[in-house]
Amino acid sequence: MSEKNTASAAGALSTKDKMRKVGDLLLNNAMYIIIVLAIIYISIVRPSFLGLSSIVNVISLTAAKLPIALGIGGCIVLTGTDISAGRVVGLTACISASLLTTVFKVFPNMTEALPLPVVLLLVMAVGAAVGFVNGFSVAKFKLHPFIVTLSTQLIVYGIILMYLMSGTNNGQTLSGLAGSYRSFVTGTLFSIGGVAVPRYVLYAIILTAIMWIIWNKTTFGKNMFAVGSNEEAANVSGVNVSRTIIMVFMLAGIMYAITGFLEGARIASANANTGLNYESDAIAACVIGGVSFVGGIGRISGIVVGVLLLQIIFTGLNFLSVDANMLYIIKGLIILIACAIDMRKYLVRK
Amino acid sequence: MEERKDNEPQLRGLYRHVRISVRTLNIIILVLSALLVVCIVIGISRGGYQITFDTLGGTVVESQKHMYGELVEEPNPPTREGYVFDGWYRDEALTYPWNIGEDVVTESMTLYAGWKEK
Repeated sequence: MSEKNTASAAGALSTKDKMRKVGDLLLNNAMYIIIVLAIIYISIVRPSFLGLSSIVNVISLTAAKLPIALGIGGCIVLTGTDISAGRVVGLTACISASLLTTVFKVFPNMTEALPLPVVLLLVMAVGAAVGFVNGFSVAKFKLHPFIVTLSTQLIVYGIILMYLMSGTNNGQTLSGLAGSYRSFVTGTLFSIGGVAVPRYVLYAIILTAIMWIIWNKTTFGKNMFAVGSNEEAANVSGVNVSRTIIMVFMLAGIMYAITGFLEGARIASANANTGLNYESDAIAACVIGGVSFVGGIGRISGIVVGVLLLQIIFTGLNFLSVDANMLYIIKGLIILIACAIDMRKYLVRK
Repeated sequence: MEERKDNEPQLRGLYRHVRISVRTLNIIILVLSALLVVCIVIGISRGGYQITFDTLGGTVVESQKHMYGELVEEPNPPTREGYVFDGWYRDEALTYPWNIGEDVVTESMTLYAGWKEK
């Protein structure tokens, strides 16, 4: 009799366990489930969403937004973030568009566009400089990255506005870009079924590979994860914490600069609003992709998946003509849910 | 001194000051997910992009609402004293013309009227 009771109790326990496991699975993947359901709905209502041109469009837009997310990912691994990213993209896009153009309004004395590599290196230096300021303030003054990057965000915005007012430009949108610049970025890499895949997809793949190597195969990458998961322990074990933090922010700045360089040519113009709110998309993508604010946790593959998923859902909502105003609310909710799931995962694992 | 209870879950990093139980998080995730679904549904049901017309000094043209991929209906051309209407443009600087019979709507936008002096 008592044996029977124990057996049934064990049976009840295992069903309860199973229920909890299913619940865990559902809650930890709540975001993915909603996104997948939305994608299924969209592809039923608008079959053209699964068409070749739409898929190529999603991949291209993912490629365009990948570098900035790869940069911000490192800052999140350090339990920080970087909200100056979008403005750095804007500044570097404006610098690229003003130098690689056919109508020199910012520099009226120039007659010919500078060589592409020179401009690319220049904007990378600008991005790295902003990153250095961010990293230095975080590492040496122990300021919270939110505060530091909020102020650099404003400072960079001011610089953008002044830059656009300089010369004879008078704050106008920079356009009339040089053909070589545009074709270098948006030229056809190859065509599938008559749909052109732009060259910047290749650049995004190269950057992803480089970042994967930096994160996984270099001492710097290992130090970054060590500092992210426990700064004091990393310090004790001989990691130069300050240098690691500064380098992570500088590397991020360089990635924003590359994003800006590509973005100028991709949109075919640059103005004070270029890059606005890009950081929120990138942060959302990283958190969805499992780069945790807990620190020291994250993978490059996760960031790629995060950017891709966000792009799919937003392209899909675009197909359903959802207004951009509502998309902001949806993005905000996605970040909140992703953070709650992020915390939950960490607590359950403990 | 800071007292640390063993039964209280500890978070690290950005959440290090957060004291929250898994049960509360479950509720938060469920409520926010429901809210997200509601927002998506509202967004879809109210779908449509607003196309407004800025005549830059000419007579007023009423705005239109269109779904993704639709063509903009050609409005009655606006008029302006001393000018001849010269088609719609995508930007205020009048550099990118909007081809009303071919270009499809992909977002909310404003079209600007181009004018030629008489």
